[in-house]
Amino acid sequence: MSADLLVKGKDIGFIGKSGPILDSVSFELYRGQITTIIGPNGAGKSTLTNIVTGLLQAHSGVLERANNLCIGYLPQKVYVNTLMPLSVKRLLQLTQTVSDEEVHQALSQTEVGYLYDRQVQTLSEGELKRVLLARTTLGKPDLIVLDEPTAGVDISGEIKMYDLIGEFHNQLQCGVLLVSHNLHLVMSKTDQVLCLNRHLCCSGLPESVSQHPEYLALFGDQAAESLAVYTHHHDHIHDVAGHHHD
Amino acid sequence: MTEWLDDFVVRSTVAGLLMISIAAPMGCLMIWQRMAFLSDTLGHAAVLGVGLGLWLQIHPMIGVLAIVVLIVVSLSRVVSFNNSLSETTLAIISHSGLAAGLILLGTMPSQTVSLESILFGDLLATTKIDLAMILGTVVILVFLLLQHWRSFVAVSVSQEIAQAEGIEVRKLQFLMYLMIALLITVMMKVMGVLLIAAVLVIPTSSARLISRSPEQMVLGSALFGVMSLGGGMLSSFQFDWQTGPAIVLSATALLFVTLLVRRLARSAL
Repeated sequence: MSADLLVKGKDIGFIGKSGPILDSVSFELYRGQITTIIGPNGAGKSTLTNIVTGLLQAHSGVLERANNLCIGYLPQKVYVNTLMPLSVKRLLQLTQTVSDEEVHQALSQTEVGYLYDRQVQTLSEGELKRVLLARTTLGKPDLIVLDEPTAGVDISGEIKMYDLIGEFHNQLQCGVLLVSHNLHLVMSKTDQVLCLNRHLCCSGLPESVSQHPEYLALFGDQAAESLAVYTHHHDHIHDVAGHHHD
Repeated sequence: MTEWLDDFVVRSTVAGLLMISIAAPMGCLMIWQRMAFLSDTLGHAAVLGVGLGLWLQIHPMIGVLAIVVLIVVSLSRVVSFNNSLSETTLAIISHSGLAAGLILLGTMPSQTVSLESILFGDLLATTKIDLAMILGTVVILVFLLLQHWRSFVAVSVSQEIAQAEGIEVRKLQFLMYLMIALLITVMMKVMGVLLIAAVLVIPTSSARLISRSPEQMVLGSALFGVMSLGGGMLSSFQFDWQTGPAIVLSATALLFVTLLVRRLARSAL
């Protein structure tokens, strides 16, 4: 595997309780790239991210991960264990040895620095999402996996959240795998789009995906809207190491 | 050298303290991972283990260990992610195990084993061999807990995130099940089927009310546990109550006192 290739899936298949969920999906995730998975409900978006993070095992196909791949993960549904007393600070230091300073920094970046000493079970859903988003950036992750990070967040919050994700990816020089159902908001940040509907309908640069007949068939209405909103300042170039120059 | 263990009060106190100190972290982990009901199930099914052990004329404890390990191994095969143990399944295993055990015990001459000691245990009848087994178990469990504590806590917070970060959640959970099985096997003799779950859950619930970190909750549980043990043993000597139930009621009394104190402290602010 090349140095910047983090995860490579080839012909990934997964069969759920009520039939096949993924059929022969191939993809590659690179360091320094933001990859967005879009697709309708039940398209297998979460299943695919769960296969990438190792929560689920693919039933067919081959999944290769870079050695010692370090993943930061924000699940779609965040569940708080109310039975365990736990401070926000401790939550961020749970599995990794990171200094209090780093914890502070990560939290203030997602604008929840004031939650540092709070008990986790007293947080609202939105606050917890931001805390866990901050958590994904700790410990020098190679890949950040975010499953619908903006579900339940209003539009202005959503735009801010995507800006943040863009910032993290520049700072950490990591790969990002993002699940979204809202292509027009993520487009300007995305390097690669995987349009999923149990199989891979189309993939590639956002421009080409947004004009692909299968994409238009799936997201006809939204696509028209997205073309109107779409302001794509995607004029940076990648050098050999995958660094960005804007 | 071990003359001091000749006094049954000393033996039972040491056994009780050892049990309480290991029940604290184990009980916390079980509560955090919503497995409190599992201890009940294993305790009840253990009656079948006692019956089998006596019927096959091997040590009852071996029968218990065999049954609880069999149950946790089969349970761990059916649980998957975010699919916690179904309460119905646990209830079926629990009651069928208890029923089968009672019938098996009923076929034996009545002096073989008293049902009362199976249900409530007999802390005051702790032998030196019991004590050695308890000590051995505590050493094994403490070693495993220290080695995996960070991962155990992470898995309790979120299985999904822990797995994504590279913790082998399923292996860890299987280990946890085996540890619970071992704990319940040795607790069975001194605490009895009906009291095991209480000892694991009640002091832990009190500690939950006043702690702000996982470790504080473990220490608090141990503290409340020791106080319940003391209160239970004293009232047992004083009023000639059965020791096991007296310990449980002391724990419950402490829970109410803690609730009251917390409420008063809050309204004072």
